[in-house]
Amino acid sequence: MVRGPLFLALSITVIASAASAEIARVKSTSGNAIVQRGANHIPAATGQALEAGDWLVTGKDGRMSLTFVDNTRFAVGPNSRIAVSKFEYDRTRQQGSFVTQVDRGSLAVVSGKIAKSGRDAMQVRTPNSLLGVRGTRFIVEVPK
Amino acid sequence: MIARGAAAFLALALAGCAHSSMVLLPDEDGGHGQVAILESGGKATDAVVNDANSRATLGGAQPSIRPVGALKPQEAALVGDLPPPAKSFTLYFLEGTTDMTPESAPVLDELRAEIAKRPGADVQVTGHTDTVGSDTDNDALSQKRAEEILNLLASKGFDRLIMSAVGRGERELKIPTADNVSSPPNRRVEVIVR
Repeated sequence: MVRGPLFLALSITVIASAASAEIARVKSTSGNAIVQRGANHIPAATGQALEAGDWLVTGKDGRMSLTFVDNTRFAVGPNSRIAVSKFEYDRTRQQGSFVTQVDRGSLAVVSGKIAKSGRDAMQVRTPNSLLGVRGTRFIVEVPK
Repeated sequence: MIARGAAAFLALALAGCAHSSMVLLPDEDGGHGQVAILESGGKATDAVVNDANSRATLGGAQPSIRPVGALKPQEAALVGDLPPPAKSFTLYFLEGTTDMTPESAPVLDELRAEIAKRPGADVQVTGHTDTVGSDTDNDALSQKRAEEILNLLASKGFDRLIMSAVGRGERELKIPTADNVSSPPNRRVEVIVR
């Protein structure tokens, strides 16, 4: 039960690996649905990994759903443009912060561990509002 | 006339400009949380949507919050698209080994069935030990337990790319004990399937 430098070193390793890579996976997709990463437009595919900063973009028949590593779940409706602007999660402590930006379209959310880890640790921004998510299921709609 | 004209124009502008909205739904387990409207129309607010099945119209200085009846068809479709919740499984081990207890064999079968029915699955395998032995040995043993399960799953045809294994040693005891205490519930691997 000694919690010495080794414990510290392991914790840091876990944080570093969580910050760098995969934050979510695509679970379903239909119609015109892409993941925009920088200048790359990647057609959304089941099993595809997402990274912080990715945009989820759908056309008029497009939909996709995803599950994040903190167990948050998203369903993205047609004609949407949504960014995961910030996603930081420490798997060991189950704490983090999560900001989603809905420029247009619709998004259903079931919040996960990040929303439970601190007051307004999960936020959703629309062009004219900022929401603080306190452990729940909800829909955000931003008409064109 | 001018005032009336301005009012009519304003009404038209409002009707033509659809507002953003948020609908708070009941949780899947029947309870519900809250969504705070931290800012609306560029101003900080202290509005909090507290009641399930409420719709908040966003963007005004004072957001309006009203009960909703049935969801619109496109909203119901969106909620229906949400992936299933993550599911977790626990497998137990014989003392000091990477051998599963016989009781855990059926749990492994359930785990395989769960992964198989989830397109785009992500499988997180975390090994643990009890407090018998040194921290260093337990870090290694917990990692081996996690890898044993990952290898068993891989041998059944699951792609290693969808799985990750990590050992947490004796840091996260299921049942808290003193050091050097043999504890079957603590000798485990937890698997989360998303």
